[in-house]
Parts: sequence; C-alpha cells; structure tokens
Amino acid sequence: MPPPALLQLDQVTIRFGGLTAVSAVDLAVTEGALVGLIGPNGAGKTTVFNLITGVYQPTAGTIALAGRPLAGLRPHRLAALGIARTFQNIRLFGSLSVLDQVLVACNLHRPTSPVQALVRLGAFQQGEAAMRQRAEELLGLFNLLRFRDQPARSLSYGDQRRLEIVRALATRPRLLLLDEPAAGMNPAEKQALIALIRQIHQEFKLTILLVEHSMRVVMGLCERVAVLDHGEKIAEGTPAEIQNHPAVIAAYLGVDHQTALTHH
Amino acid sequence: MESKVQSPKSGIPGPHLALVGALLVAGGVGLCSDWIDPYHLDVLTNIGINVILAVSLNLVNGHTGQFSLGHAGFMSVGAYLAAAVTLNLAPRLFGPDGGAAGPTALLFLGALLAGGLAAALAGLLVGVPSLRLKGDYLAIVTLGFGQIIVVLFQNFEPLGGALGLNGIPPYTTVGWVLAWAAVAVFTVGCLVRSTYGRGFLAVRDDEVAAAALGLDPTRYKTVAFVVGAFFAGIAGGLYAHFRLTITPGGFDFTKSIEIVVMVILGGMGNTLGVILAAVLLTLLPEVLRPVAEYRMILYSLLLIGLMLVRPQGLFCFKRGRTN
Repeated sequence: MPPPALLQLDQVTIRFGGLTAVSAVDLAVTEGALVGLIGPNGAGKTTVFNLITGVYQPTAGTIALAGRPLAGLRPHRLAALGIARTFQNIRLFGSLSVLDQVLVACNLHRPTSPVQALVRLGAFQQGEAAMRQRAEELLGLFNLLRFRDQPARSLSYGDQRRLEIVRALATRPRLLLLDEPAAGMNPAEKQALIALIRQIHQEFKLTILLVEHSMRVVMGLCERVAVLDHGEKIAEGTPAEIQNHPAVIAAYLGVDHQTALTHH
Repeated sequence: MESKVQSPKSGIPGPHLALVGALLVAGGVGLCSDWIDPYHLDVLTNIGINVILAVSLNLVNGHTGQFSLGHAGFMSVGAYLAAAVTLNLAPRLFGPDGGAAGPTALLFLGALLAGGLAAALAGLLVGVPSLRLKGDYLAIVTLGFGQIIVVLFQNFEPLGGALGLNGIPPYTTVGWVLAWAAVAVFTVGCLVRSTYGRGFLAVRDDEVAAAALGLDPTRYKTVAFVVGAFFAGIAGGLYAHFRLTITPGGFDFTKSIEIVVMVILGGMGNTLGVILAAVLLTLLPEVLRPVAEYRMILYSLLLIGLMLVRPQGLFCFKRGRTN
C-alpha cells in the first residue's frame, strides 16, 4: 500500500471568464516526495501553485492537505497549516533587512502575543531572542548571514532567490512549493541550488513541489515529474519516462517536429 | 535549552525608561507652566496634540501603507465624547466652582479614555468592511467616513448641532498633552519594533507575500486602524479641553489633510521624522505671523518646495521610498 498523499489535487479546475486556465488536474504528492511540475510557458503551473496556496479558489474540484480539504481557506490560514511557497517573480519585502525578512516569517510560531510587544517583559525578550537566533541559524545555513542588516534588494539575484527559500522555511512548512527557483541562475548557481534543495529536503524532512523550466534542475532533483500543457496534465512519471513521453515532446517541440522526428 | 538566549539586560527595558523619562519631562514642563509665556504654552500644546495625531496616523498610512483620510473623523469622535462626559459629570461631581486637582484629573483621564475607546470602536466599524479595499479606494471610503461624521454631529442636537459644544472645562494642560504624546510614540514605536510589528511593514510592502508567510493582512490593517483611531480620539479629547469649544466644522476634511501632510513630510513610516514634521508644521504658521495676509500662501509654497526637494520625506535619511 502506497503511503498516503500529503497533497491531493482531485479534478481541480479554474476558469477566468471564458478561459480555462487549469482543467481537471489530478495530482498526488506523497509525504517526503520531491515532485517536479513542468510545462511550456502559460501551461498553468503557477496557477496550480496559486490554487494550492489559496490565492485562487478552484472553480471545480478539491485540494486536500493530509486528507483535510482546503476549500475556502485564505492564504495565511494555509501557511499556518504548513504550506509555504516562493514566487516566480521574487517578492521580498522592499523595506525590510535580510534578517527581518526571515524574522517576519517566524511570526507563525511566535511565542508571545502582540500586547507583550508593549509590555516587553521577560517572556517577550526571550521570545524575540529565540526567534532572532532561529532566523540567524537559517540564514547561516544558506550562507546569507553576512548580509543580515542589509536591505534585501541589495542582494544579488541568486541570493534573493535563496533568501526567499529561507523565509519560506522559517514558517516551518510541511509542504514547500518552489516556483522556478533556478530562473535567471547561471549553470554553477544551478548546480549549487540542486545541492541546496536536496539538502533542505532531507534536513527539514520536507515535501517539495517544484515548478521549473530548467530540465537540468528537474531531472537532477525530482523523483517524479508531472507535465502540464494548456492547463491539462498530459503526463506523469519518472524523469526518464517523461523525457521520452511522446505527448511531452509534442507539447514542448510541437506536433510537426514530432512527426518530423519519427519520420527520420 | 539551559543557557539564556542572549538574555536581555536585567531590569526595565530601554523603551520603558525612555517613556518614564518623557513622562517626567512632561510632568516637569507641566509644573513649570506658570513661568512659561502663555503664548508659548499654547504653541507647545498644539505641537503635542499634532504629534499624537501624526504619529498615530503614521501607523496606518506610513507603517501599514493604508491611505486613510479619515483621521479628523476619529479625532472628532474622541473630542465630542470626552467633552460630553466632562460637561455632564463635572458640574454634578464638583459643583459650580470646579473641584480639587485630584478628582478632576481622574475625571479627565476617564473622559479621554472613553473618547479614545469610542474612536477605536469607530475605527473598527469603519475598518473591517473597508480595509479590503486598496489605495485610492480606501482613501475615498475614509474620506466619506470623515464627511459623514461631520454631518452627523451637525445634525445631532444633544451635542450642540452645528454650533458645537461650548464651555468645556479647561482641563488640558501642557503636561497632559506631552504625556499622551509620549504614550503615543511609545505605543507605536514598541508595536513596530517587534517581530509582530515587522508584519505591518511586510503587509505594506507585499500583501501576497505576507499572507503566504501566515500573516493575516486584514488583521494587521485592522489593528493599525484601531490603534491609530484610539490615539486620534485621545488627541480629540485633549483638543476639546484645550479649545474649550468644538464645532463639527473643525474636524472636516482639511484637518485630515493637515495630518496626512505631516506624515508625508516626515517620511512615511519614520516615527522621528513624523514627530519633527508635526513640530515644524505647527511652528511654521506661527513663525509666519509677521507676514500676516501672505501667511498661508507662503506656507503652501513652502510645502510645495519641500515636496519637490525631498519627496521621500524631509527627515528620511536611511532609505528612499520603496519602489
């Protein structure tokens, strides 16, 4: 018997007016898995992320986390349930320092109430110190601690992407959604990113769902890959199966190319 | 974990020392007020009231990034309620010749708190439905609220209607005002300078990202709105017992704009800058008194000039506006 799915999408559909952006997608991500979600531009990958994180509500179908249906829950509630994400276009807080970006994400597990921020007695001080220590540990793990007091936007592009991952980890997620973590990275950075994702996957005992264009990253990391095209799931399997799947080749290269290839 | 995690210095935390210090200064100035020129006292009291208004609005407009144009409305709620409390209770409790210092101070404190809480409640009622709106839309809704409040007071005869309330006992002293200003600065400062309070800035910078980290944007905005309204109400109560007469027209849209200008000029989200801007903008019309009829023209020109030269806020040196 397979382990129960941590994340289960069942016939999930969303329409924006006349446009069906995601159509009857089924997807099961088992606890501890590292799954890739790929597809051409506009296939609906980020929309699937927005559905899982409550930014959009599905027009039809259900999404469940560890068997619990997520319908109607707003994004901050889903974050509290253990879903964290990064964004395709980096969304760091413009006016916060590197350390504060991570500290703000520690709020989910803040030991003190807001009123204690005014009273500022022992419990508050200890709580603040503990969160600070945890944020610094996380930053240290990603080699970002040296930037702790700098504004986030002064970081290099790759560092900003990694800071977004640190920030997501600070919420102590069960499920981490990474939206194109390797976008804009050079080959060396991509290699380092693969090692990093593998490391956090093991160290934090995370389940990771990853949207990525870089085949190198997807093939290097994922145990399973699902392929979206025009909002529909056209294939799912191991990286090797996906690479040779005719529907996938057609989606990426177009049907003419495929027929051309088979004819030669 | 047996080691104390970077245990804070034992004893009273720094912000509290600053607050106690500020309250002592306020008390000291209050005691010395007999030796201070009445005109200067007047200006100082005005400055204190404007600091409370600007710092509290800064929590909403600056730190949380919600453009509210209704601050004068909350101020009027506090002013009317506090004035109504003292006007009704003071004669009954103390008779026609006023009362001893102690009991009147208690009554005044109670009246101010009642005004502040009423304003906070108004903030909650306005905030919960409207804070889902963004930017311009929120500005328009709060503007509408401010107008509605003015019209309500104008037509509510038990509170004097368009003539307003007169003969309010002169309880406000410079000591009271400075003490409340210290409390307002302390509250806003402590809220923002905590892990919890970083959430206000996060919500301002990027609501979607903040929600993805488990922060409830609506909740943060509501808290900012309610705390801001509370202090606006306190400032209103102080204002009423300082002017001794209040009319609905005194809390109209131009008053809200005046406070917004202080926040913008000080640099959105910069508490020290906003305090300095409140001081400057209260002093400016006074300094310009010699030029008489050209005063407001010069004042407006100075504002335009300041905005052209320092759009990020007069006293903002740390960072430019977020892009």
